[in-house]
Amino acid sequence: MTEKVGAIGSSIPRRGALDRLTGASMFSADFRLENPLALRAVRSPHSHARVLRIDTEEASRMPGVARIFTARDIPGKNLTGIINKDRPLLVEDKVRFVGDPVALVAAETEEAAERAAGAVNVLYEVLPAVYDPADALANEAPLIHEKGNLLFRRRVVRGDAASAFSSCAVVVEETYRTSFLEHCYLEPDAGAGWVDADGTLVIIASTQNPHYDHSEVAALLGVEDGRIRIIQAATGGGFGSKLDLNMQGFIGLALYHLQRPVRCVYSREETFIATSKRHALIMEMKTGAGKDGRLHAMKCRILCDTGAYGSYGIAVASRAAVHAGGPYEIEHVDTEVLCVYTNNPVAGAMRGFGTPQVAFAHESQMDLLAEKLGMDPFEIRRRNALRVGSVTATGQKLEASVGIGECLDAIKESYEKARSARSDRGDSPFTCRGVGIGAMWYGIGNTGMQNPSTAQVEIDLDGAVTLYTGCADIGQGSTTVLAQIAAGTLGLAPDEIRMIVADTKLTTNAGATSASRQTYISGNAVRDAAAKLVDVLLTEAVDLMKVPKNSLAVEGGFVVYKGDTDRRIAFSKLAARARRKGIPLRWQGYFDPVTSPLNPDTGHGEPYATYAYACHLAEVTVDITTGEVTVDRVVAAHDVGRAIHPEGVVGQICGGVAMGVGFALMEEFKPGVTASFKDYHIPTANDMPEVVPLIVESSEPTGPFGAKGVGEPALIPTAPAVLNALSDALGKRIYHLPANLERVLEAANKRG
Amino acid sequence: MQDFEYLMPTNLDQAIGLLKKYENKAALIAGGTDVMVKIGKTRKAPDVLISLRRLSALRYIKKNGGYHIGALTTHRMLEQSTLVQSELSALHDAASQVGSVQIRNVGTLGGNICNAAPSADTAGPLLVLDATAVLEGPLGRRRVPLKEFFTGTYRTVRKPDEVLVEMEIPEDLGRYGSAYWKHTRRKAMELPLIGIAVALKLSQDNSQILDSRIALTVAAPTPIRAYPAEDFLKGKVIADDVLKEAGRIASSADCCTIRTSLRCEAWYREEIVRVFVPRMAKLAAERVKNR
Repeated sequence: MTEKVGAIGSSIPRRGALDRLTGASMFSADFRLENPLALRAVRSPHSHARVLRIDTEEASRMPGVARIFTARDIPGKNLTGIINKDRPLLVEDKVRFVGDPVALVAAETEEAAERAAGAVNVLYEVLPAVYDPADALANEAPLIHEKGNLLFRRRVVRGDAASAFSSCAVVVEETYRTSFLEHCYLEPDAGAGWVDADGTLVIIASTQNPHYDHSEVAALLGVEDGRIRIIQAATGGGFGSKLDLNMQGFIGLALYHLQRPVRCVYSREETFIATSKRHALIMEMKTGAGKDGRLHAMKCRILCDTGAYGSYGIAVASRAAVHAGGPYEIEHVDTEVLCVYTNNPVAGAMRGFGTPQVAFAHESQMDLLAEKLGMDPFEIRRRNALRVGSVTATGQKLEASVGIGECLDAIKESYEKARSARSDRGDSPFTCRGVGIGAMWYGIGNTGMQNPSTAQVEIDLDGAVTLYTGCADIGQGSTTVLAQIAAGTLGLAPDEIRMIVADTKLTTNAGATSASRQTYISGNAVRDAAAKLVDVLLTEAVDLMKVPKNSLAVEGGFVVYKGDTDRRIAFSKLAARARRKGIPLRWQGYFDPVTSPLNPDTGHGEPYATYAYACHLAEVTVDITTGEVTVDRVVAAHDVGRAIHPEGVVGQICGGVAMGVGFALMEEFKPGVTASFKDYHIPTANDMPEVVPLIVESSEPTGPFGAKGVGEPALIPTAPAVLNALSDALGKRIYHLPANLERVLEAANKRG
Repeated sequence: MQDFEYLMPTNLDQAIGLLKKYENKAALIAGGTDVMVKIGKTRKAPDVLISLRRLSALRYIKKNGGYHIGALTTHRMLEQSTLVQSELSALHDAASQVGSVQIRNVGTLGGNICNAAPSADTAGPLLVLDATAVLEGPLGRRRVPLKEFFTGTYRTVRKPDEVLVEMEIPEDLGRYGSAYWKHTRRKAMELPLIGIAVALKLSQDNSQILDSRIALTVAAPTPIRAYPAEDFLKGKVIADDVLKEAGRIASSADCCTIRTSLRCEAWYREEIVRVFVPRMAKLAAERVKNR
């Protein structure tokens, strides 16, 4: 099969970019519906309380109110969750966090809905609440769910860590903490819906996973699959939070009962109170190395605060456990992660699934070990970096595409220059500079479980090709990349591929846009579908041209004879010929990465088919009298296997660095306190460092054209690199994120 | 959004007439960057909003027997004024750091002062520039020194039927330099955690402090002057230990009532006052030399 030059590895214009630029893109809140009702949830003001009575009478009589729903109105199963089903759409018995929805108002206007929501009378019996995951595990702790407050425990054990520490030349043991974070996507959650003439409930949504939404809404309503249709609208970012069922269920419930158009648009404040957060982690980590810097043993115990409901908590805990050691070979590992319910907001998926948190810990440990050994932080990483043939903590042997060494080598020159230049005291007597490295590995796809994708490629009698994919493009560019992969397989230009995307009536399941999986997994499904179509075309051509199949290739809408490219037959002719024979012109592709489940006791298994690797170098300037930190420059090397769309990779890296700077220095969601952007700080353009992206391509044999993924890896090394640079500057280390003004100043004041 | 009547007088007399007519049912709106946020947040609006937007005669920056800045002058106009930058530097520092360009394009100086937030960016600089507020009402004009203008958090001496028309700054700034520091958690789009404004008048050889004014925001219920710290500096030869002591005095209970809030702890705010009174004093002194 030939690769069309320009299709793969080329930064073609992004699909839909012009629409975004001109404002033509239709986001969920933009759909003009006929006389729609506005939906508004009534949310709990208590973090833990029994619901004794919900009185909707007075509110129902208010002007403009169409109906007020409670749990009793849910015809199907009132329990949602993608991994474990523990979260009611509307609470029936008790609320578990501030923001838990107890009722849903449908009214003629937003204002009427809001007023009625305020008038719904809920009688609560306040229960003792627990906000600390360690407290939540105590015997006398208030029970948040009947099964207990421990949602999940993941162990990963390799060798005998306990005895290996005694043979280590140096051992460091520290506790690291991170905070809850808000995703802060540009577009607050929104959706709309109507009932089609055939009775189908159509829901337009800002979502990362339309097929999950589909099955969840069908189950909530107790209706057949075919009665629901989810269409992903243009989506302004998600970062994990739009993997949950945020407003889709509300819309489905209202459509089911009222049979008229509805819309549900969250304010920014509602996204703050109602949607998931990044898990706050407490990580006790002990790491030991020999005199030569080789890591021998790592033991860690992690408490993962998942808040009121599971959401993606189990996935976060599992991934944190697998990745806790970092991209290094460690013979003896003993990791335990406990995922715990509390009465904090729901913590769910957020770019990296626990890996950004553990990377902060393992990369701090690397620098601490280097310091004790008198070794350069670069050198200790290079010595321990995973390579082909390495065995991971879960006992998986890495067969190919292990690019961490190449990533480290890529930043080496910048690192050495920065190190020798950093002794400059900067522009003022109050500042000092520091340089730090952060490295990471990240398994592509879900952890030790099936997570297939499908796609369909169809050729019509004119020879035009359409790709059908359920893959939600939330701004990361998957629609463009999948078109490139289809084009590359079919020998066409990417803009010749017509795309039908993320509509559960028209496209098959591609799984979630999460876990950095769409390029690798859906990309492979697209390639599989396209390859099947190519085979049909070649087979027809063999028949006509009387030459062996392996002497033929696809190019520019023709099958051509490689020996004499003037001998060619148009796709349209071949398609028509196949049709006459009754051969399908639409082909389904499928890919499920080869993984094996993790053993519940030891964590052994092959959780991912491939891993992405990265390291960042950060240069910072710190004002030691005020705690202000300026991140001057980040050099970011990412092994993506193969960059299908290099500008897309660069975009992910720059966005990841921005998010990483926020995670490192300023972002913190304080439950019960943080209400809006007024008190939640994300970096602005002025806070951004210069970013130098370096794309490393250690080709993945199982990837589409060698590609892996970069969405989450982009963010992961930044905070560790910034924190290491900070301690390089200060001579003091910060163990609690964010390293905000107060924490940096305190550390600066403790300097010798 | 809440319902309200929106009136747009085209001159000052009309505006004052409307204020008188609607009395406490009306409120003034200029750029709207505070008023609209408040309406959105509290879901409460006055019955009548009287917009000053069409009073374009109140948008000006003039030097003429003193400095005169019309109340409807936007932050962006201040930011882009070379006169403000070179002669009223602290005000330039402040105006250029309010919100974003979009906000600075609509937010006005008069609005910032009349909203009277403890964190008002332009308040500190205007205090150290010894500004006077010019108010006009049905009974005519009156002038109130800015240091007497703020009566509490979001409260001022302005009467309900008065309009702030101008900020006046005395002419003799020849040997003065001024600077403002807005301390924030990030580098744009922020309210100050604490604000420090300093103006110094230096002797001809730039060594002696002839006059000093220090103002703090978010350090008390209103923007304040730190008089004891100012007094300490007057007559002193400019030196690191002297400035450091002024910072210490400014951060002490003699000058301010710094508190812990959800946004920041008191100890940190005090520390920033200690650090930035000297730094802003030095910058102000630099600016005297460079004029």
